Amino acid sequence: MTVASIIALTVLLLAVTVLALVLRPGRASTLEFYLAGRRVGVATNACAICGDYFSAASFLGVAAAVYVSGLDGIWYATGFAAGFVPVLLFVAAPLRRFGEFSIPDFLGRRLGSGRIRLIAVCVVQLIILSYLVPQAVGSGITWELLVGEGVLGLTPYATGVVLSTVAITALVVLGGMRGTTWTQAVQFLLLLAAFIWLTVVVLGSGFSYPDAVAELDSEPLANPAFAGGEWGLATESNRLDTAEPATFGEPGGRYGPFGQLTLMVTLVMGTAGLPHIMNRYFTSPTGTAARMTTVWVLGFAGLFYTLAVLLGTASRSLIAKSVESHPWLAELTVDGVLRVPEHAPLVLGRIFGGEAGLGFIAIGALIAVMSTIAGLLLASAASWGHDVYERHINPSASQRQAVWAGRGAVIVVAVFSAALALGLRPDSLTALFPSIVATMVTWAFALAGSALAPVFMLAIWWRGTTSRGAGAGMITGAVTAIGMFTSATLTGDNGVGEVLLAPTIVAAPLATLVTVVVSLCTPTPKDVDRMWLRLHGTAADRRAARLARLTIAGVGGVKGVKEDRSER
Amino acid sequence: MRDTGAPSPLNDDDGQWAAVIGDDYDMPADVDASFRTVRKVAVGHFAVFLCVVVGVPVLTLTVDWWSGGRLIGGMSPSFVMAAFGLYVFFFALAAAAATLSNGVEERMLGAQEREPVDESDDS
Repeated sequence: MTVASIIALTVLLLAVTVLALVLRPGRASTLEFYLAGRRVGVATNACAICGDYFSAASFLGVAAAVYVSGLDGIWYATGFAAGFVPVLLFVAAPLRRFGEFSIPDFLGRRLGSGRIRLIAVCVVQLIILSYLVPQAVGSGITWELLVGEGVLGLTPYATGVVLSTVAITALVVLGGMRGTTWTQAVQFLLLLAAFIWLTVVVLGSGFSYPDAVAELDSEPLANPAFAGGEWGLATESNRLDTAEPATFGEPGGRYGPFGQLTLMVTLVMGTAGLPHIMNRYFTSPTGTAARMTTVWVLGFAGLFYTLAVLLGTASRSLIAKSVESHPWLAELTVDGVLRVPEHAPLVLGRIFGGEAGLGFIAIGALIAVMSTIAGLLLASAASWGHDVYERHINPSASQRQAVWAGRGAVIVVAVFSAALALGLRPDSLTALFPSIVATMVTWAFALAGSALAPVFMLAIWWRGTTSRGAGAGMITGAVTAIGMFTSATLTGDNGVGEVLLAPTIVAAPLATLVTVVVSLCTPTPKDVDRMWLRLHGTAADRRAARLARLTIAGVGGVKGVKEDRSER
Repeated sequence: MRDTGAPSPLNDDDGQWAAVIGDDYDMPADVDASFRTVRKVAVGHFAVFLCVVVGVPVLTLTVDWWSGGRLIGGMSPSFVMAAFGLYVFFFALAAAAATLSNGVEERMLGAQEREPVDESDDS
């Protein structure tokens, strides 16, 4: 590790700490701690959502998936971006207008049931853990490559896991949603800057994207495999045409006839059920702002994933050519192909920027991990601290007690996820799953899309949804998704295994069906009309907009506002 | 239905009470009509989204040129669509849907607040 990298890491950690201290909630209020006072603007919230969403799976995993599987790996990026279209169409505005603290809180209030809130808390915690563990794995991988040394007797991998978890837990405990929002927004801009820098230097070196695809496509796709006690390259079979080998630029390297579709459905549906992303919509001042925030997110996501795919392709093309001129690549590669595909953007950074370049990209990776961990920990805190402690265990809790319950939950969940990540060794799983980080995140999406998203959308768009129906639907979705994952370990990822590994295409319709059937057999909540006004009316939006105009205009501007109303 | 969100009466320049804020409310019938229209917008855009997202894998399985043809260098139409085209499509679709939904809500809700103040009404 270079001095530049050490300085950059230190500055990053200091900046995060200072931001958390400066932006920490001024008073002990759950509205401030969990929702930043509901005053986060469109551009800031869009950047923060991107910081939250673009995890290690996006920063390292997408490029890794493209590196390993070529065209089929791109579908991870497409699915991650596509997920925000249904969020915009069906979720963002009504969710914000209803205005609770979390998904379980929303479902509990909308369906008038404490029990449904608790069921949702269980599902949310499962999703958060499935998402947290790969982030911690990503930080361990990055530290291992960036620093290569451990501290206090820990391995480099364990040091990365522990240090990132401790740093970001401190940020969340101190800064709450306001501190986290601003650090996530800044972190996203840094992530984007890292990718833009790498793209510029790669293209500046004479790299031609279309020519690289043509060149890679001219030979069979082969990846490292550990067999017979040693590493070697194994040609990937073409899952669409078994007579031909798989190639980089054509489909078949990873998915059979249904794999692409099942992955897309899983990622598209899953985004609408991700607790850390949906919670961010509650921080928007209005439903309209939440909707426009999603448009910005889609713009940022398009740019970010386009660059990630380009860099995955560039890594595949350029790393193999650089082995001779960069001897340090020998221990990371097998015949010019990386053993751990998540190393691809990091290695590319080192080839083109030396140790400083590696440091910059590695810090980008750590930032991606940290900002997502922060969002997940906050979502977990809202779930335990607000939905369980404040609503069920101690309903008469003071604001201070509720905030401290949330902080305690942050620490417990962080320790648990770090412990799970320490039990995993990514290189031992590479043979089973080509990109372990992206694959594990897909499990979280599958659970969210199977158990939460169908119920969530029905509660927003169908008056007849009842708490019993929603409970039955959530349990059905969760059990089906987990059951199918478990079955996939027996069948592998070919044929029916493709559906079992991305089970939303089966589990979500089943959850929807069960929710509808059980809801039709049970009475709807009495005050559904009032709920509908909150969900789909815009009175609160208009009041917030008018208040904002008054705040800007000041008392002297009141008359102007009145005149403005008359003119309209 | 009257919104119960704690209105703050303000005084205008003449010291008269002016109900500038806190007058925002939605009628259930208006909300229902707006809800149905926004739902049509959402479902319509989602149908287009679904056709494109499902259409790409279907084209992969059914049209050889889609995966085997070359558009730019070694990039097939399938590669170009996955690497660039779909992101542009998602953004354009989202911008159109958001603009339309916002316009529908703007036109269909809050109309009573936009009615001109009747100067002769002393009540």
